[in-house]
Amino acid sequence: MTATQPRSSAVPDRPGRPDRHAGHGRKRGSTLLNACAGLLLAAAAVGLQTFHLSANEASAKVTYKGVKGESVDARRFTVRLDSFVAAKTIQNSDQTIATDNLFLVVTASAKSSLKPYHLGQPELLTTDGKKFDATDRVASPLTLANTWVQPDIWVSGRFFFEVPPSALPGARVVFGLPAEVVVEPFQPEVEVDLGLDEEAARKLAASPQAVYSTVKK
Amino acid sequence: MTEPSGDTRPRRPVAVPIVALVAVTAVGITALLGGLNEAPDKGPDLLAQGATLDQGRYSTRFVESRVKVEKAETQFDEDKRFVELVFEVTNKGDETSSVGLPPDPAKPEQAWLGESFADSLVAISPKFPKESGPFVYAVNKGDETRQLHPGVTSQVLVRYRLGATERPPDKVTVDVATFEYVPGFEDQRLRWQMIAEEKDDKFFPEVKARVTMPVKAGEGA
Repeated sequence: MTATQPRSSAVPDRPGRPDRHAGHGRKRGSTLLNACAGLLLAAAAVGLQTFHLSANEASAKVTYKGVKGESVDARRFTVRLDSFVAAKTIQNSDQTIATDNLFLVVTASAKSSLKPYHLGQPELLTTDGKKFDATDRVASPLTLANTWVQPDIWVSGRFFFEVPPSALPGARVVFGLPAEVVVEPFQPEVEVDLGLDEEAARKLAASPQAVYSTVKK
Repeated sequence: MTEPSGDTRPRRPVAVPIVALVAVTAVGITALLGGLNEAPDKGPDLLAQGATLDQGRYSTRFVESRVKVEKAETQFDEDKRFVELVFEVTNKGDETSSVGLPPDPAKPEQAWLGESFADSLVAISPKFPKESGPFVYAVNKGDETRQLHPGVTSQVLVRYRLGATERPPDKVTVDVATFEYVPGFEDQRLRWQMIAEEKDDKFFPEVKARVTMPVKAGEGA
């Protein structure tokens, strides 16, 4: 401020008028350039906002994606979704449970990298953003969540979902670690695409197994 | 000719600011006196058996209230009687939710922290003793579950066990709160939260509806 003060006092009261006429073309050019630069900067600033993560996104887990049959390495553990079937009833040793919707039985294998883990109950994601937890009607000891996942030893087991047939097209299954009270940021999770298009989903929903037995023979 | 036009001309520019000034002052006084504050709550909607309430996260039908007798299965066992509240709950959210549990009547200042269906049943009267329940679960093809899956309608039971000689109440009244999907106060993540109102630095659930259901006598009650 102080540096410009003496200069402004040295210039007459209205210095702009003759100057404006003289440098008219050059000044308009630079004004236009400045405006363009300003607009560009403003646009860039607005554009940058689209990269801003919402609180939900910023606290989300780190997702490793794969497809059915592929071993997906989430660094801490590796999960492979081997197969899945649909069923109308599930038979345990002591009871048979039925549903108006569908049971989706997912067979998966897992190993860990350094230390033993338990997997948590998985979630099923639909194309319209719905999240189905694995059903609690099949007791957790019957699922792969009950098995220790050890370094370099593949273990295999099942998970059970109960979902409406409309959830099947484009569905993905997300495996992670069990929920904890103190939430660790950026936990890994594995998202596996079941590879069901409309046609395959309709076929699967139309011909479920009548009974799926969890009893070992 | 020139005189009348000279007279009228200054009047118009004066009239407009005066009207504006009066209007602004009027609005200001109204605001000062509290006239623009939100209208006070009309109190909860009074609903009867069979009514449906939009709870934000759930759409709930209050089906009925009844006395249910569970027959003894062994000779050492005895018949158990329950007062049962029956709800038909559709999860309108995107995630599987737990059925929840009605808040502890002894800790009303914690009731607003609930996020699941039965948490929104903030007051149930008459009050049942602590040892009688409540037991809350959803029934799916005769099987119990504690999950409400997105887009799925489930039958939810809230039941209290009656003592051997205890008479069931004639009617049960339930105060029901609702949920909204909003960011948390400190944790800015969007999630379902109960709509609450502040009273003396504490939060309490806002009761959206008061539902009264006559208790139907069950078999053998």
